[in-house]
Amino acid sequence: MKRDKIRTGTVLRLLAFAVLLAFLLAPDRFAGLLTPLTNNGAPAIYNQGTLLDLTLSHLFTVGLSTVAAAIVAIGLAIFVTRPAGAEFLALSRAIVNIGQTFPPVAVLALSVPIMGFGEGPTRMALFLYGLLPIFENTLVGLSTLPPAVVETASAMGMTGRQRLLKVELPLAMPLIVEGIRLSTVIGLATATIGSTVAAKGLGEVIVAGLLSNNLAFIVQGGVITGVLAVLISDGFEALAHRMAKRRGASSEARQSDPDGQGSSA
Amino acid sequence: MTTLANAETSRAATSRIDRFGVVIAAFLIGALALPFATLRATRIASGTGLRLFDALPATTMVAVLAVLAATIGAALASRRPAVRLALGALALAALALAAGAAGAHLMPDDNPYARVAPASGFWVALFGAAMLVTDASVRLKLGPAGRIVALVITATLIVGLFASGAWSHLSIVAEYRNRADVFWRETINHIILAAGSLAAAIAVGLPLGILAYEIKAVRDPLINVLNVVQTIPSMALFGILIAPLGWIAMNVPGAHALGIRGIGMAPAFLALFLYSLLPMVANTVVGLNGVSRAVVDAARGMGLTGRQRLFQVEMPLALPVLLTGIRIALVQNIGLATVAALIGGGGFGVFLFQGLGQTATDLILLGALPPVALAFAAAVVLDAIIEISGRGKA
Amino acid sequence: MIELSHLTKVYGDTAVVNDVNMEIEAGTITVIVGTSGSGKSTLLRMVNRLVEPTEGRVFLEGNDVSTMPPHELRRSIGYAIQNHGLFPHWTVARNIATVPMLLGWDRRKVDARVEELMELFQLDHAQFANRYPHELSGGQQQRVGVARAMAAKPALLLMDEPFGALDPIIRSKAQTDLKAIQRRTGTTILLVTHDMAEAVHLGDRIAVMDGGLLKQYAPAADILARPADAFVDDLIGSADRPFRYLTLGRVRAAVEPGVAEGAPLAADASLYEGLGELLWSGRDAAPVIDDAGAPLGRVSLVGIAERAARPK
Repeated sequence: MKRDKIRTGTVLRLLAFAVLLAFLLAPDRFAGLLTPLTNNGAPAIYNQGTLLDLTLSHLFTVGLSTVAAAIVAIGLAIFVTRPAGAEFLALSRAIVNIGQTFPPVAVLALSVPIMGFGEGPTRMALFLYGLLPIFENTLVGLSTLPPAVVETASAMGMTGRQRLLKVELPLAMPLIVEGIRLSTVIGLATATIGSTVAAKGLGEVIVAGLLSNNLAFIVQGGVITGVLAVLISDGFEALAHRMAKRRGASSEARQSDPDGQGSSA
Repeated sequence: MTTLANAETSRAATSRIDRFGVVIAAFLIGALALPFATLRATRIASGTGLRLFDALPATTMVAVLAVLAATIGAALASRRPAVRLALGALALAALALAAGAAGAHLMPDDNPYARVAPASGFWVALFGAAMLVTDASVRLKLGPAGRIVALVITATLIVGLFASGAWSHLSIVAEYRNRADVFWRETINHIILAAGSLAAAIAVGLPLGILAYEIKAVRDPLINVLNVVQTIPSMALFGILIAPLGWIAMNVPGAHALGIRGIGMAPAFLALFLYSLLPMVANTVVGLNGVSRAVVDAARGMGLTGRQRLFQVEMPLALPVLLTGIRIALVQNIGLATVAALIGGGGFGVFLFQGLGQTATDLILLGALPPVALAFAAAVVLDAIIEISGRGKA
Repeated sequence: MIELSHLTKVYGDTAVVNDVNMEIEAGTITVIVGTSGSGKSTLLRMVNRLVEPTEGRVFLEGNDVSTMPPHELRRSIGYAIQNHGLFPHWTVARNIATVPMLLGWDRRKVDARVEELMELFQLDHAQFANRYPHELSGGQQQRVGVARAMAAKPALLLMDEPFGALDPIIRSKAQTDLKAIQRRTGTTILLVTHDMAEAVHLGDRIAVMDGGLLKQYAPAADILARPADAFVDDLIGSADRPFRYLTLGRVRAAVEPGVAEGAPLAADASLYEGLGELLWSGRDAAPVIDDAGAPLGRVSLVGIAERAARPK
């Protein structure tokens, strides 16, 4: 039963990916589908730049910011969970809690006065906001390890560094990946809004559709971003799930977290 | 022996300088080197930055400096959270007043179009003082009631500063004055979007969640679908919903009269409703699942019917987790409602995106700061309620 | 080989371990027994410096452990605990290999050692080497935990309630196996438990702790025969004392000349088992045979009862 369900999901995702790829590579072939949504002979396919280009820029912006956020956030989370950084632990928890109440779009807008228009503010907002889920999840991962395991690692004669690299980080990894997933999903959404501050990305298509009242643009922009986000998110989820599964039920239980943040932006 | 022991203690003491205090002090001192306020000839012209020493009348400046110096001293020398909280709060108040004073002091008499706005130095100092206050309140372990009182006091002070006219020369207030009517209308719109869609999501999500809890076959597919919805970027979902709603407005009799349109509030409301369903349904399921098996068995053993069990035992015990779902959905909605302006849905986003369009920083702030404050307040209040509701149920 | 000298640990205002002095002989099993909060685990953890003493010293083979880098010290001491603490992301083989890998043994030597240990602990190498801990039963996990602790052939093995999470039947087998393995390897074991029966079963010497103080430290028989104070007496349980005492003796010691009816008893069985058999089969006496099956004589209820009485 269960296996069948998983297989249907995988097939659906592969299918979605294939259609997405086909659409990005040869959008004009799909023009017929979208023409009914246009008025007065307006173009059915976005024509101010290729959709593939926009998709790649979009992904690049998100990827760059998320990688940077992951490096900084994981580093900080490691720092505050070591004895040397312990005095910053309580504060950093509070900052993350407060920070996550900030709407990502507000962070984006507030970056504009500092960075001007273009890719800059989008990257900065994505980076800043992306820190929060990764930091929080890494922190949870590193601070909820089974005490018996951490203690034995010391008792076996691992140095602090060996314990971190061989035991703590690998065990926290499913949660860290989940944090990166959340950051990426929020990033994909915020980058879409980034088009309103002139960042190159898929939001451009939706904005153009809204401005020229062209439903076909709105729908194709919306569907591409939506499918992209769902596929990427599922990829991370599958990765985290695989990591968690290998080490058994104890760490999987930690995955279902009722306080998990919503992920949209 | 004694001298050796003494040497060791004193070395331990000096190596134990509070590094957090040093960071805060660095923020506050660094802020003094940055411009405290900006003076611009018009609302969109580029401005000149003025440091604290040039932006305030002498007496005010000395008073503000004294407060900041005392705060730096407290950060470096005192580890007592109460002292740090008091001085941090004093510094926040001093900065708020100083910003207003800078507005009054710098505003030229001959140019009514000139604008004065707080600049980077102000924001950095504000951030430093806020961190000090945050750290101190975390260490003081304020209870839920204490946090709400603190929130109310802060809100009252901010409203008081507005009403007293202390900030009336600041640029953001000028932006507000120019569109006061619209501002309040969009505030209502924002709240309708965020809270209204949440109310709808509670009404639908709670029964759905109970259903998913009772019937295992419903659970996974439902949660999966809602997960996918949650993943779709807001602008994309807003956009995707325009098409079907537009079609309904055109083709379903009476739909248009009900306010259903392709663009505007309807697709935004619907999208926010869909986004809120996941936290509601998932937390209902998780909350009900989390009720101890022993308690449920005991209730069954004493002869409670399924319905009695649900309403008298399971739901009350799951309440903190349900409330957590509401908190997540509300905070998320307040943020997402800002994006609704892009499809004509109204809300604070109207000012934010107008501001972006005109490169008018103060208008951006007018659109961005209220949702930030609203989301923060909602989080504080709901966290307090969650904590109170969870008492004695651990 | 281990000397604890004036060992004290103070948390806040309480001394959880208070001026404990002990000498532990190499190649023996010493059991520290006490109620929870008696300070027994803290005492154990000061030996490998998971807890640093407030006062006092620990000497291993005459060396003060506080002078060695903690991680090097710990690599030379085995450590096994109640919830086994296996690394959930590593296979059984990798878990057992932890300390040898930390010590930089070469690959082949590590593999050989892992295989040897798995055989010693009755874990089929082909079947279990590549499994993850969560795929094992509680008893198997516990055996892997002990095997891991012994991987680098430590001269000293510290065990903190190692069998606490096991059900009674598996626990009893695990205790017997541990004793047999210890006799083969000659490892010095320092084991902490709250279970007096386990202490009597395993311990060459028993240390009783209460409220941070070492109440009595003596061979098992002495503890049973001459409890130092009311607390030790309580811990033994007055009703159980003669039976505990019988677990220490062998049937061989109570053999008297003569013959008896019915199924024979093995000379190496404990007197406790002998008593049980006699009572249950309703006999006054039973024949005794040695390992080879040759008759040695008989053992009687009266003979066993004499050995359950308080020693003079």
